[in-house]
Amino acid sequence: MAFYIHFKDPNSDEIVKFLSTIPKTPGTCFFMDINRSTDMKYEGGLTDWGRKLNNTFNFLSLLNDFPQYIVKGIGDEIMLFIPDDVLKTNPAINSYFMLLEEIYATLYNIKHYPVKDTFLPCKVAIHYCTEVYNVTFFEGANDYYGSDVDLTARLMTKCLENRIVLSEKFLGKVHQDLEALGLSDRTGCIGHISEPFLENFKGVPMSTKFRIIDVE
Amino acid sequence: MELIEKKTEKCVIIGINGRLDTINYSILEKRLTELLDQNVTKILINCSQMDYVSSSGLRILLMALKRITMVKGKFVLCSLQENIREIFEISGFTTIFEIHPNEEDALGVF
Repeated sequence: MAFYIHFKDPNSDEIVKFLSTIPKTPGTCFFMDINRSTDMKYEGGLTDWGRKLNNTFNFLSLLNDFPQYIVKGIGDEIMLFIPDDVLKTNPAINSYFMLLEEIYATLYNIKHYPVKDTFLPCKVAIHYCTEVYNVTFFEGANDYYGSDVDLTARLMTKCLENRIVLSEKFLGKVHQDLEALGLSDRTGCIGHISEPFLENFKGVPMSTKFRIIDVE
Repeated sequence: MELIEKKTEKCVIIGINGRLDTINYSILEKRLTELLDQNVTKILINCSQMDYVSSSGLRILLMALKRITMVKGKFVLCSLQENIREIFEISGFTTIFEIHPNEEDALGVF
């Protein structure tokens, strides 16, 4: 459960003491956006976009495997944060490589599903976060804050439909898994990962290296 | 996961034994690709012993279905366990795959 931060005195020493005790919560952050759904709300009614959003959210297997870690949804965009200790103990998906492979397969299945107008295409940004805290400023809520969460949101700006954008830091964790599992670095979707790109994202003081996978 | 294969006069039957997951789906992918490259176009997947399928596993089944449909072959599934059927329903795969309750019924369509 998130640490609840709520101090009435803006100059309280207690808040500083309290904040200094909060541990970091390393894990994998995803931003997932469902494309075309805004247009659809103007073109079709709830029966159309509601059905497709329902189908697409159901299809995103990671949301079903980690339902308690859907941190928030804003419209058609979802933030999912999977802490390392949760990932390691999940019975079905328990490595960074599996996370990436699952999301790739999901996007592939949506793109190639043979019946039109069933699902909506998605775009996904993934980052491995170390600068992150499980805190909330709102009673009863669960949330994750930190510069790495902000960076995941910035990576989303490089996303297009049917594209996964992943940080170099996350890819590093994937490669560690491949090595541990004795798998080649061309296994599955890994062979489709692009060369690195460098970007200076707004508010981030250093350049960020990231890669993309366009799901074909 | 283990694949148990048998050839009949009508088709090739592949039984999936265990979990079809993100780590081992490539075993099925490799075998299906070999069969398709050998122009085998009638395949029955017996899922009676398959107790888990990931999105990666579904992807391989979808790829095989697409490829076999293009050459007007037949790719049929049978004997889905209840939890697998639920995954197929949620992902819309019950709409696009021909699925039979048991192997005997499935063999009747080839």
